[in-house]
Amino acid sequence: MFRRLVNLVEILALVGVAVAVVLLFANEPESASTAPTTPGAQIFAASCASCHGADGGGGTGPKLAGGAAAKRFPAVDDQIRFVTDGSGAMPAFGGQLSPTQIREVVEYTRTL
Amino acid sequence: MADTVAAPARTAGAATRRLVVVLLVGGAVAVALGVYGKVHDPTHEQPYTWFFTSTIQLKVWFATAALALAVVQVLLGMRLYDKISFPRHAPSWLGDAHRLAGTLAFVITLPVAYQCLWALGFQSTDTRVLVHSLLGCFFYGIFTVKVLAVRVKGLPAPTLPFAGGLVFVALVGIWLTSALWFLTSRPAGLPVY
Repeated sequence: MFRRLVNLVEILALVGVAVAVVLLFANEPESASTAPTTPGAQIFAASCASCHGADGGGGTGPKLAGGAAAKRFPAVDDQIRFVTDGSGAMPAFGGQLSPTQIREVVEYTRTL
Repeated sequence: MADTVAAPARTAGAATRRLVVVLLVGGAVAVALGVYGKVHDPTHEQPYTWFFTSTIQLKVWFATAALALAVVQVLLGMRLYDKISFPRHAPSWLGDAHRLAGTLAFVITLPVAYQCLWALGFQSTDTRVLVHSLLGCFFYGIFTVKVLAVRVKGLPAPTLPFAGGLVFVALVGIWLTSALWFLTSRPAGLPVY
């Protein structure tokens, strides 16, 4: 009886794997019409959205949208320094992005 | 006489060939996941939250539950291999319980891995994220090797416990670089659940 239950769970696990694989390919995001267009938006999508959310609404990283970024850093240069050097859970992007790119993405976050 | 000497060598050769095939299959799974994570455009969406504040918290606690089940599975496996002697008389259902714990742990990882691959992809933002991405791919590769090691006859004897140990080590590494990191380093104000 117990073995039959374990066999059933293993079959369900295989079905789960199949469903996950199908969803990975079938559940594509919306078309490129919603893709970011400005350089800042593109950098945000590539480097920031995984923690701060696609719309800056927050995730593992704090919310940036709705003026939250500008509220936390009234001076834009302070935010640029924070993104460049990192702090705590925030990685330092100074080694990955150029100063121009950091300024572009910072300015973008302040428009969300 | 020559035949009796050559037979074990042939058997060893066949076992090695089977092991290579099994490792190649596991390697292909790991590489396929890495390639998908790199090529697929991450959506950065949270497709499900169920009873949690967000998908992040869901992933943290599902990963923790998977790790807890994996610990149970390792302990049951150690009893099966007589590496521990508790309980003194191993019940007949011990092997099935070992399978059930491992299968449930694996199932619990699926919604976590799905969101990682679909919404975040393979990332190398910093060392933690890179290690987490690599371990995620490695976990499913070595898990495939372990499952095949159970099913394929004639593999070298250490294959199964070695693969099982690596699966557990990979899961611990994944948990350390994600759930523990979140629980200890999350920004102030972000809920635990």
